[in-house]
Amino acid sequence: MIELHRVSKVYSVGPVKVPALSDVSLRVNKGEFVVLTGASGAGKTTLLRLLYRDDLPSDGDVEVFGHDLGALKHRDVAALRRSIGVVFQDAKLLPVRTVYENVAFVLRVLGTPKREITQRVFDALRVVGLSSRAQAYPAQLSQGEAQRASLARAIVRKPPLLLADEPTGNLDEAMEDEILGTLRDIWAGGTTVVLATHQTYLAQALRRRTLTLQSGRLVKDEG
Amino acid sequence: MLGFLIGEALRDLRRAGRVAVSAIVLITLSLAALGGFWLLSANLERAVARWRERVRIIVYLKREPAPAEAKALVEQVQAVPGVAGVLYIGKAEALASLRQLLGKDASVVAQLPANPLPASLEVTPAAAAATPEGARALVERLSTLPEADEVAGSGDWVERLSQWQRLLTTIGLGIGIVLAAAAFLTVTTATTLILHARREETEIMRLVGATEATIWLPLLLQGTMQGLIGAVLALAALVATHSLVAPRLEPLVSITLGLPDLAFLPPVNVLALVLTGALLGGMGGWLVRPGREP
Repeated sequence: MIELHRVSKVYSVGPVKVPALSDVSLRVNKGEFVVLTGASGAGKTTLLRLLYRDDLPSDGDVEVFGHDLGALKHRDVAALRRSIGVVFQDAKLLPVRTVYENVAFVLRVLGTPKREITQRVFDALRVVGLSSRAQAYPAQLSQGEAQRASLARAIVRKPPLLLADEPTGNLDEAMEDEILGTLRDIWAGGTTVVLATHQTYLAQALRRRTLTLQSGRLVKDEG
Repeated sequence: MLGFLIGEALRDLRRAGRVAVSAIVLITLSLAALGGFWLLSANLERAVARWRERVRIIVYLKREPAPAEAKALVEQVQAVPGVAGVLYIGKAEALASLRQLLGKDASVVAQLPANPLPASLEVTPAAAAATPEGARALVERLSTLPEADEVAGSGDWVERLSQWQRLLTTIGLGIGIVLAAAAFLTVTTATTLILHARREETEIMRLVGATEATIWLPLLLQGTMQGLIGAVLALAALVATHSLVAPRLEPLVSITLGLPDLAFLPPVNVLALVLTGALLGGMGGWLVRPGREP
């Protein structure tokens, strides 16, 4: 499903070149739950951004669903992203829309028929345990609830791949468990999950395949 | 999908708030100015067209010809290039016309020892000769007739009226363009504000795989809406002003320009105003659309 072949990414900050990923090769199969771990600045976010074609590698090839992302045309990027759900550390909910509207927004943007939207939104909210908060605005949610709303938005299209970038970074332990539980449920439903986290103990708790990045290099692939 | 796009465009309009209102007001003003001058110009054009049809050149004859000579002369003048029609007016007919013109003072004519009026030919120029240059050339040609004593009349004043009409159109276009430029800039400002306010939505839309068209169409639509609202308001203002002012001006216009009424803009101009408004707003929205990703 995901294949990186000798991928490097270098950011240019004026005349200074900052390497973010160096010679990373890896493969993630369909249905896997992979934890991508490493300290802040290790290259986790950069790697995820390459996977949903938010950026292009400086060197090497990235393949997702069999598509070489470097050769993808603009209109095909949109099609690729429709198959990928993304969750961030900050939930990135739209503040003037309710939880329901935030989740429905994705379906409306993609032209889903109106009659399907309500059913699918409530299905997604049920998976993350947030049905009772559908009419709440983001400002009225706890951080854990906001993150779960963000998860609902990511899975409402039932994407085969979910990328979660530090989804528990701002949460306390109880809320972390909630989110990890939800991610497990989503994975159990057949979705391939790539979770990036700097919290190494989460990787241990999840007992899933763990990829460790250090200064942009893949130094460990275990589990 | 269309419902979503229109809904987002309306939401964007509300977000732009006062700036969108300013843009609508400026579009209204620019189109009302353009439409107002157009309305005046269209009526002047009507007057010019009517008066062009009435341009006549009079060839006063040295002596009154015999009926057979008069017929031959009419045929000869009819063959002159630029002549559409010729009417022979004998001395007696000319005097009768004078009597009719004088009305109750016609008795003055009876006191004349002899008919002082010359026989004449009333020449109607062809459309091509109804311009100042054409009329002058025709006058020159008719002056060469051996029977002609004097040739009078040209369409100079009609042309001056026509020049006024063109001047009005140009002024209207000038004012319209200046105001339209201001309106256009305000639409782009409103759209920039909207773009800033919806940057999170744009980010999410891109993230979930929305096409670029889905991202910028609401911006284009909200700009077009601003333009359409401005155009409708401008038309409403023009209709209201026309219905209030026209009845008061029509007697004056009838005397001075010979127009029975002051007509409103023809449908094609109304359509042009609406389309100009939509285009103005749409372009403002289109130009500020978010750039594409790498």
